[in-house]
Amino acid sequence: MINHNVDVAVIGGGPAGLVAAVSAQEHGVKNVLVLDRNSWLGGILPQCIHDGFGVEETGSSMTGPEYAEMYIDMAKKQKISFMNETMVLDFDKKLEITAVNREGLHRIKAKSVVLAMGCREKTRWNVMIPGDRPSGIYTAGVAQSFINLYNIMPGRNIVILGSGDVGLIMARRLKFEGANVKGVVEILPYASGLTRNVVQCLDDYDIPLYLNHTITYIEGCDRLKSVTIARVDENLEVVPGSEEKIECDTLLLSLGLIPENELSKTTGVEIDNVTGGPIVDQFFETSVPGVFACGNCLQVYDTVDVLAKGAKLAGWYAARHAMKQRKDIQKHIQVVAGEGIRHVIPQRICKDGKISFTLRVEKPQQTAKLHLTVDGKEIFIKKLLWINPANMVEIDIDIPDEIIRSKSELEVTIDG
Amino acid sequence: MKNFHVAIIGGGVIGSAIAWELSKYKLDIVVFEKGCDVASGNSKANSGVIHSGINSPHGSLKARYCVEGNKMLRSLTDQLGFSLKWTGKYVIAKNEDETKELERLKKVGAENNVPGLEIQNGSDIKKTEPNVSCYAGLWVPAAGVILPYEFTIVLAENAAINDVIFLLETNVIGLKKKNDGFVIETDKGVFQSQILVNAAGLGCRNIVSMVEKPDFQLYPCRGEYLVLDKNYNDLITSMIYPVPVKELGVLGVHITPTIEGNILLGPSAEFIDDPDDRRTTKDMMRTLLLEAKEIIPSLPDKAVINAYSGIRCKLASSDEGGWADYRVEESKQTPGLVNLLGIESPGLTSAPAIAKEVTRMISKYIELKTKNHFKTKKKGKRFSEMSSAEQSDLIKKDKRWGRVVCRCEHITEAEVLRALSNPLGARSLSSVKYRCRAGMGRCQGGFCTQHIVRIMEEEFNMNLKDINLGLPASNLFYGRTREIQK
Amino acid sequence: MDEREITCIVCPIGCKMLVRTDGTRFELLDGSKCKRGVEYAKSEALDPRRFLTSSVFVEKGEWPLVSVKTTKLIPKDKIVQVLNSIKGARVRAPVKLGQKIIKNIENTGIDIVATKSVKILQI
Repeated sequence: MINHNVDVAVIGGGPAGLVAAVSAQEHGVKNVLVLDRNSWLGGILPQCIHDGFGVEETGSSMTGPEYAEMYIDMAKKQKISFMNETMVLDFDKKLEITAVNREGLHRIKAKSVVLAMGCREKTRWNVMIPGDRPSGIYTAGVAQSFINLYNIMPGRNIVILGSGDVGLIMARRLKFEGANVKGVVEILPYASGLTRNVVQCLDDYDIPLYLNHTITYIEGCDRLKSVTIARVDENLEVVPGSEEKIECDTLLLSLGLIPENELSKTTGVEIDNVTGGPIVDQFFETSVPGVFACGNCLQVYDTVDVLAKGAKLAGWYAARHAMKQRKDIQKHIQVVAGEGIRHVIPQRICKDGKISFTLRVEKPQQTAKLHLTVDGKEIFIKKLLWINPANMVEIDIDIPDEIIRSKSELEVTIDG
Repeated sequence: MKNFHVAIIGGGVIGSAIAWELSKYKLDIVVFEKGCDVASGNSKANSGVIHSGINSPHGSLKARYCVEGNKMLRSLTDQLGFSLKWTGKYVIAKNEDETKELERLKKVGAENNVPGLEIQNGSDIKKTEPNVSCYAGLWVPAAGVILPYEFTIVLAENAAINDVIFLLETNVIGLKKKNDGFVIETDKGVFQSQILVNAAGLGCRNIVSMVEKPDFQLYPCRGEYLVLDKNYNDLITSMIYPVPVKELGVLGVHITPTIEGNILLGPSAEFIDDPDDRRTTKDMMRTLLLEAKEIIPSLPDKAVINAYSGIRCKLASSDEGGWADYRVEESKQTPGLVNLLGIESPGLTSAPAIAKEVTRMISKYIELKTKNHFKTKKKGKRFSEMSSAEQSDLIKKDKRWGRVVCRCEHITEAEVLRALSNPLGARSLSSVKYRCRAGMGRCQGGFCTQHIVRIMEEEFNMNLKDINLGLPASNLFYGRTREIQK
Repeated sequence: MDEREITCIVCPIGCKMLVRTDGTRFELLDGSKCKRGVEYAKSEALDPRRFLTSSVFVEKGEWPLVSVKTTKLIPKDKIVQVLNSIKGARVRAPVKLGQKIIKNIENTGIDIVATKSVKILQI
């Protein structure tokens, strides 16, 4: 066992981990260690060769690899340590991490830990598409890694299920590389990705978008041969007789992301069943003292910019914890996602002050009012325009001291 | 033309068990397998259950081989190192009427010498299985679970290191009976053999028809399964089977804990025309979940991580009741052709016993001389199962034990290399999956696939177009994004 | 003069505007909600441009490909040519982020630059 003592250990060297590590170091800790399972840093960013990253943060629209390298350079300048091709096997409530790499087994004792493991992609079986089990079925991210990192083409005649940004970006990427993209299938009546991507990835290239459709059958003994699509009604039930077979050799699944929290669960970190990530307070601290969470393992973000804001705070607070500079924490009050709200982060608040909330609404609305109520009394109201579940809402609200001290629940609701 | 003593058609669990048993003797043996690996067909697509023998009528071959095989497996697991867990089974009755069936099964079990059978009432069962609701149940301690693909691979690889030749991706396309044996035409060449063992599973009738007119029909009966996330593995401890549905002669929708900690729901039972139709259907997936929830009300909807189908090789049609005994016999018309027909449940359990029976049959033709140096390769431990000291030690000897390539199951690069270096020469993504488990976790290959492919290209110099999922034509890729000009 | 629909991408609303254009003249018929939207529709109708990203083959690098981008927006009607030109290009490791891979691609006056660094492959 190789032993290490660090101030802040960051599990995951993707955008969240890098930003958190840089922030921790900037806030005064000397010894920050980032552990990542891959030989490279940046997590998923090196394969995201399209632009759209860091617009808010830097004013320019960077590509994924550029954004990653920006933070990697910062981290290296700040003498942050890295362990690559290293898998964290577990960590306990004493903040002792067991990890393994080619050098052997490592025990890392940290004063605080930042969870930044990112997420994994939903698979065919998460939505239970019946049929055969041929080759040629890829989640969008895996297909993207093959095309962009390993110089391998996964297919020629493509159908994409899911119109989130990853699916739309991949439609264009495959088209650029000479594939025949036969269409993008989306169960909802609207695309879940940005309009910009619908226009620049599909419309520009005459790639059909099948809204209100789903895939009901996969055919192919060895390699994929065809998929059957069908229309769905308002209840997302298949309309019988509307089935249409599309011949293809590749099916890309862009069904959504699941925060990766196997490690968190093993340690006993409390998980929010709706977000799939840890329950945190405004300091991004989980239910285990000294363990902080940020990035896609906390909740699935839409843009790296908003993710980075949270990661900066998580890194700062993890540093503060490591340096034993925490101010008195009062009793937690719960933040409840009420009517019209799918989830809110943080799920609890332990101190007064300005709190950056991020939330998702249940359904799309042109105009709506966001309410914050405590025991029925409204303490905050804001008008929101053009909201939908696919776009995370960010709101900074000042929570006064008396609310923390006297109340036990803060409810967030939305009405149209 | 290479001449063998015994040629086995089919590298499933039956073919592999026979190959291993025969490999103890000084014989030249070849196994023809049309898939990219052993256990390509139903040997990997079943429940993995080691049956006790209560389900087969006394006096049948099914009962005999099942009970024999069940006993043999107890020592085989130590000898070969494959995993086996004696979870036991509860056959449960919903009401008093169904209890009669429990009594009947207990009686059959007693006739078949199955030990430890005991009828318990619902409230007693609730003590050991708090999530199961039933009226009463039959406790069968002599039932267990294995990983059927692991078992088959271990048998086949042990046969291979004892000189059995496995020809993968090899289809038998013609047979001729000569005086002293058989001429076997395959798509990879022509071979000769004194004895021919037909362990071709669903292909068994095609094989027979190459030399004689078959006196039987095959009735493929598909069974669909759902695999549940390991997170729910504490819902049950033993197998939970509802009382058998009499009409079909099949066992019904079962709830089976696997060795790896997943839960299997299924199989369904549907007679179909095409023996290769392994589809999973929306209706059946719904039915499996609904029926399972009747037994375990707390079963969640979103727990499914995989689904697959197996196809039973039945000798009796649905109209005929769907039940027929095994036919393990030498063909009367074609001496030297040993046929294994209709090997459905409890086929996995029966495999070692059937292998001994076939060896007995062959001994009438060929003198069996025991090998002096019979080798055994026990299945190695997984990195994730070792102690820290063992892990550190291994990494010092070979750094590749320290690089984890499958995040969900913590499988290392060394284990992937070990899997790809198997003595059968099987090199598909599935070969890796079934040997070291990489790709069988929650993310279903989302992380490891790219790393396994890289290892295949760099360490094994595999050509991109030869990298496939499991079946011969299941290529993963279509060339390069940018061509590499030499 | 052609009538066509243009979906605005400036803000999440995504207004659909009806415009009339022949490539040199522009007339907004219906659908605009703001000044930025009209400006966007005008540029889309008269001089549509796109930002392109792709990959270039790397010789002797740690990675076989380096991701690249156009330094400025490319005219939409040149996309296919530019992409083909990128596909045929090769670069030798080491590659530095920002390095010019192709100068003045397809006579657009725009360069193709690397968006990541690729080290030489150590054997």
